[in-house]
Amino acid sequence: MVSKLKSANASAAGQIISRSPRQIAWRRFRRNKVGMVSAGISIVVLMLSLFAPVVCKILGINPDELNLDLIDSSGIPTLPNGGISREHPLGLTPGIGRDLLANLLYGSRISFLVAFLTTGLAIFIGLIVGIVGGYFRGRIDDYLGRFTDFLLAFPAFFMIVALSEPMVARIQETGIAQGNSARVIFLIFFLSFFGWPGFSRLVRSQVLSLRERDFVTAAQAMGASRKRIIFKELMPNLWAPVIVVVSLSLPGYLAAEAVFSFLGIGIQPPATTWGILLDNARRFVTVYPNFFLITAGSLVLVVLAFNLVGDALRDALDPRSER
Amino acid sequence: MRKNAISTRVLAALSAGALVSTVITVGATSTANAATPKAGGTLYFLEHTPRLDHYDPSRIYTGRDLAFMNSFHTRTLVAYNPVPGEKGTTLVPDLATNTGVPSNEAKTWKFTLRPGSTFEDGKAITCEDVKYGTSRVFATDVINDGPAYLQSWLDIPKNADGTSTYTGPYKNTPAGVAAFNKAVTCKGSTITFNLNKSIADFNYLATYGVISPVQKKLDTGDKYDLNPQATGPYKIVENSATQLRLVRNTKWKKSSDPVRTPYPDEVIIQFGLDEEVIDQIMLEDTIPNAVNFGGPLPTNRDKFFKDAKFADRRMNNSDPYARYLAFNLVKMPCLEIRQAMYYARDAKALLDYAGGPDYAGSYATGVISPLLATDFEATKVVGPSDYKNTADVIDATTGFKPSGNVAKAQAYMDAAKTKCPADYKKATETGIVIDGRPSASDNDTIPINVAAYARVGIKISYNLIKSGYYPTVMDATKQSDLSTSGWGADWANASTVIPELFTTAGGFNLSQNSKDPAYKAFEDKVNLAMKTTDRKKQAALWKELDKEAMKNFWVLPTLFGKAQEIWGSAVQNVFFWVPQGNLAYGKLWINQ
Amino acid sequence: MPRFILRRAYFATLTILLVSIVVYGVFSILPFDPAALTCGQKCTPAIVEANRVKLGFDKPLWQQYWLFLSGIFLGRTYGAGSAEFTCPAPSFGYSFNENMCVTDMLAEALPVTINLAIGAFVIWITVGVGLGLLAAKFRGRYPDTISSVFVLLGTSLPTFVTGLFFLIYVTIKWKIVPLSLEGFTPITESPVKYLQYFILPWLTLAILYAAFYTRFTRATVLETLGEDYIRTARAKGLSERVVLLKHTMRAALAPITTSAGLDIAGLIGGAIITESIFNLAGLGRMTLQAVYEFDLSVVVATTILAATVVITMNLIVDIAYGYLDPRVRMK
Repeated sequence: MVSKLKSANASAAGQIISRSPRQIAWRRFRRNKVGMVSAGISIVVLMLSLFAPVVCKILGINPDELNLDLIDSSGIPTLPNGGISREHPLGLTPGIGRDLLANLLYGSRISFLVAFLTTGLAIFIGLIVGIVGGYFRGRIDDYLGRFTDFLLAFPAFFMIVALSEPMVARIQETGIAQGNSARVIFLIFFLSFFGWPGFSRLVRSQVLSLRERDFVTAAQAMGASRKRIIFKELMPNLWAPVIVVVSLSLPGYLAAEAVFSFLGIGIQPPATTWGILLDNARRFVTVYPNFFLITAGSLVLVVLAFNLVGDALRDALDPRSER
Repeated sequence: MRKNAISTRVLAALSAGALVSTVITVGATSTANAATPKAGGTLYFLEHTPRLDHYDPSRIYTGRDLAFMNSFHTRTLVAYNPVPGEKGTTLVPDLATNTGVPSNEAKTWKFTLRPGSTFEDGKAITCEDVKYGTSRVFATDVINDGPAYLQSWLDIPKNADGTSTYTGPYKNTPAGVAAFNKAVTCKGSTITFNLNKSIADFNYLATYGVISPVQKKLDTGDKYDLNPQATGPYKIVENSATQLRLVRNTKWKKSSDPVRTPYPDEVIIQFGLDEEVIDQIMLEDTIPNAVNFGGPLPTNRDKFFKDAKFADRRMNNSDPYARYLAFNLVKMPCLEIRQAMYYARDAKALLDYAGGPDYAGSYATGVISPLLATDFEATKVVGPSDYKNTADVIDATTGFKPSGNVAKAQAYMDAAKTKCPADYKKATETGIVIDGRPSASDNDTIPINVAAYARVGIKISYNLIKSGYYPTVMDATKQSDLSTSGWGADWANASTVIPELFTTAGGFNLSQNSKDPAYKAFEDKVNLAMKTTDRKKQAALWKELDKEAMKNFWVLPTLFGKAQEIWGSAVQNVFFWVPQGNLAYGKLWINQ
Repeated sequence: MPRFILRRAYFATLTILLVSIVVYGVFSILPFDPAALTCGQKCTPAIVEANRVKLGFDKPLWQQYWLFLSGIFLGRTYGAGSAEFTCPAPSFGYSFNENMCVTDMLAEALPVTINLAIGAFVIWITVGVGLGLLAAKFRGRYPDTISSVFVLLGTSLPTFVTGLFFLIYVTIKWKIVPLSLEGFTPITESPVKYLQYFILPWLTLAILYAAFYTRFTRATVLETLGEDYIRTARAKGLSERVVLLKHTMRAALAPITTSAGLDIAGLIGGAIITESIFNLAGLGRMTLQAVYEFDLSVVVATTILAATVVITMNLIVDIAYGYLDPRVRMK
C-alpha cells in the first residue's frame, strides 16, 4: 500500500509542490489533534523517565529515601491525601514511605528498557526473516514459514511464565548476569523470541507484494545487485508498516513487563517497577486507594498515549485505512 | 522444630515479640465461655494459601496444621490438654490409656492402647497399626517433611552416612526389618519403643502423628497425604483446590476419646481466598461462623484491635517462634563482620514496619523463646537485657540499640578490616547475600535493610526463593551468606531448639558451624544437657548454650514474635492453646 | 476436501509431537535438581538419589521423554515396593507437591478454565460484533464515537488493572458482586453461584477482547460495504438491514471466526492473570503455582496441553474456513 502512495505522489508532482511521502505523512499526522497530544504526552513521559535522576533532583525527591516517621503502624502515610504535598507531589508509598513520583519515574526506566529492547530485537529478527523469506521464496521461505508457524503454536505467555524461574536460574549460573539483570535479559530475550514471528509474517507479506511491483522488476532488469534491491528498493518501503507496528507493540510490552513483575516472576525488589508498585497497591487499596489509582492511572495513561500515537501514525502512513 | 512455615506473614514480619515469662495468652476469650456449648453448624476456616502442606499424620510438621488435624481428624497416643493457660501444655492420654511409661533410664517407653478406638472404616485400632504408622517415616523417599526424631532415637543400627539401616515398610532389607521389629514391639495392646539413648521426654513426641495408627492395607504411600484415614471425630470428604471438607466420622465414639468434644457438624477450610477479602469478611461479619485461619493483614489490624466492637472476636498473643537470620559460617567466617551486621541492623524500623511492639513483638535475645518459660533467660549478650524493653536506647550490657548501634558496628568493621580483609572486602564490595522468601512485605523491608547496612559500608542483596525455601537453604551448596529463618520448640524443652539449630546432628542447622573454633566445646555441652535428667540443671545448661551461640554470632537474632487471631461472632469458646501457639480449634462451637 | 482435512490433521499432529519434544527438552535440561525438591529437611544424597530413580530422572533424556509419551497412552507406575502406585492412562505425570496424578489435576482445573473462556467469549463476541456493526452502520456519528472510545480504553487497560479494579472495588468495596466462597459450582447445580464465580472474570477478559473485535468488525464491514456485490444487493432494493446482516456479515464471518477460534485457544492456555487475580482454580493458576513451586511435571503437562489446544483450534479454524470461504478449498 505504501508503494501506491509513492506513485500517487509522482503523478501529482507535476501540478503542485513536490512532497515526499514522508512530508505527506507528517502533514497528515499533524492534522490529527489526538495523535499530536498523545505524541506530546509520550515524549514527555519518555523524557521524564530517561532523565529521572535529573527530574528527581530538581523536584527534590529521592526514590530510595524512606520516610518511616510519616507512616503509621498499619503502613499508611499519616499525612492527609497520602502525603501529597510540595515535597512529595504524588504522595508516599505505603509501608515505608518512599516518594511515589520518584518511584514511578525510576520504575518506568526498567519498564521502558524492557519494552524498547524487546521491540527492537523482535523487529530486527522479524525483518531479517521476513525479507529473506519474502524475497527468496521457494524452499527457504517454506522452511522459515514452517518455523514461524511452529513458534506461533506455542502458548507464548504461558511459556514465558513457565520458563521464568528455571531460565533465570540458568542465566545466573552461566554468570552472564545476576539478579535483576538476569531477569531483564530473560524478559527481553523471551518476549522477543515469541514476538518476532508476528513481525516476520507482516514483513514477508509486504515484501512478497513489493517484489512484484514495477520498480523492483525494473531494478532487476537493470541488473541491480541483490543487496541493492533489498537495501535500496525494499527496505525504504518497509519503514511505514514497521513504524506502525512498533508504536502499537511498545505499549503491549510495557504492560507485559508490569504483568510479570505483578505475578512475582519479573523484576524483584528492591528495584521498583510499575508492576511491583501495583502489587503493593493491591494490599493497601481499602485503606489507601490513592496509591492504586495513581499507579494504575499512570500505567493506563502511558499505554493509552502510545496506542493513540500508533493509531495516528497508521492513519498518516496508510491513507487507505478507514478510521 | 516447627519451622514457622505457617504463616509467611508472621515470618515476614521479622520482628519478635516478647511475652510474659510464663505462657502468655492475653486477649479476648469469648464472653460466651460460660454458655453451654451447642452442637451443629459448619465451622469455616478462611485461608489464603492454596492448601495445607500435608495431611498425612507422618508428614505434618507445621504447628498450626498439626493443631488443626489433631483437634479434628488424627488421634495420637497422647495429646496436649485442650484447655486455656499453662495447663494446656500438660499431656493427657489419647489413644493410649496412659501418657507413656518409661523404664531402663527412659531408654524404653511403653504405651497401652485404649480399647474401642477405630479407624473411619470401623476397623479397630491395634498395636500393629501404630507400629506400622511408626515405620513409615523411615521411608524417607516417600514420607518426607515430618519430624525426624524417630530415625535418630529408635534403637536401629545406622549406616556410615547417618541414615537408618531400616528404610521403611515399602522397600527394605530383611536386616532392616528385623532391626525395626526389635526396636518397636507389640504385645497385646501394649507398644514398646526401645531407644538408643535416654530420652526423658519421649512421650512428647507421641503427640505428633509420626507415632499414630495407619492401616497397612490402606497405605497408598505418597498419595496417603490426600485422604488419610480418620481416627478422630471428623473425616475428610473433600480435599480440593478450593476446600478441605471434614464431616462427622460416624465410627468415632465419645466413650473411647477422652480429649475431643466435637461440636460442629462440619469443618471446612476454604483455600485460596485473597487476604484482603478474608479481612473484609471478618470486618463485616459476613460469615459469623468463620475463623480467619492466617490472621489479619497488617493494614487491617488497627480496624480490629482499636475498635471495641471486636473485643470478643480478637486475640493478640506472643507466638512460640524466635526469628533470626542464620549466618552461613562457611561463607561468613569472620566474627567481627557478623557482629557488625548485628549492630548495624535497624531493628526498630523493621519492628515498626511490622506493626511495632503492639502487634509484632519484641527484640530477640537468643533463639529460645520466652514461651519456653523453663529454659528462657535473656542472654544479655544480644538484644535488650530486659527482653520486654523496646525503647530505642543503647543497652548498657549488650550494646544493642534497636535503631542500630552504628558506632559499635563501625568499630567491628574497622577491626575486621585488619583481621579478616578478605571478608571485609566481600562485605563492602561484592556484597552479602541474604536468602529470603518473597512476600509482599519484602518489597518494603529490603530497602530498609539496604539503607541500614549502608551506614557502615556493608552492601547486601537478596536471594528470594519462591518455593522449597527450607530444602533449598538446607542444601549447603545453595545456601547464601545469611538465611532468614524462624524456629519454635517442638515441645516445652529447649532440647528441641539448641541441638536442632546448632549441632551437626540437628535437623535444622543453617549455621554450618561445625568448623568454628567454639564448636567442639559447644557440642560436648549439648550432649551433657541431653543426658541431664534433672530438669532444672538441664534448663541452666540450655540457658548457657543459648548465650554461647549468641556470643559466637552463629545467628543474628531478630524477634520474638506476636500473632493476631480474628473470628466471626458466632464462633464460641475461643481461647489460646499454648503448645502449638494457636486457638484450641477442637473446642470451638457455633452459636446458631 | 477430506484430503485437505487429512493433510492438515497430519501436520497438526506432527506439530504437537514436536512441541512436546521441545517443551520436555527445554524443561529437562534446566539447572536444578527436581529430585532434591521432593526431599524434606533431613535430606541426604541417598534420599535425593532414591527420589531421582523413583521419578525417572536418572534415565537418559530420551528415555524420560519416551516414558512420558508412553504414559499418555498406557499409564505410568511410580514408586517401588508396596508404595507403588499407578497413574492410569492418559497419564501426564505425577506431582509430588500435590500428591496427585497430573491428569487428575487437569481434570479438576480444565472445567474452570473452559467455562471461563467460553463465558468470556460469548460476552465479547456479542458486544464486539454488535458494537462493530453499529459503528459501521452509523459511521462518523455518535455510536461510532462511543465505540471508538470503548475500543481505545479496552485495548489500553491491561487485564490485571481491570481485574484488580473489579475485585477491589466491585467485590470488596462496593459489594455489588459478593465474593464467591463456594469455588467453582457447575451451572447445572446453581446458576447463581456459577454466575457469582465467573461474572467478573468474564468481564475482565471480555472488555479487552470485545475492544479488538469491535475494531475488527467495523473495519471488515466497512471494507465489504464498498464491494460490488453489496452495491448490487442494494440496487436490487434489498432493505439495509438485510444487506448489513446477511450479505455483509456473511463476508465478515470467516475472518471473525478465525480470530475467535485462536483467541479462545489462547485463553485456555493463557488466562493466568485473570485466574490468579480472582483465585479461580483453573489451568492458569495451577501453572503459576507450579512455577512458583518448581513442580515440573505440572508445568510440562500444562504447557503441552495449552499448545495442543492452540494447534487443534488452528486446525478446526482452517477447516471451518474452508467451508465458510470456498476459495480456500480450491488452493
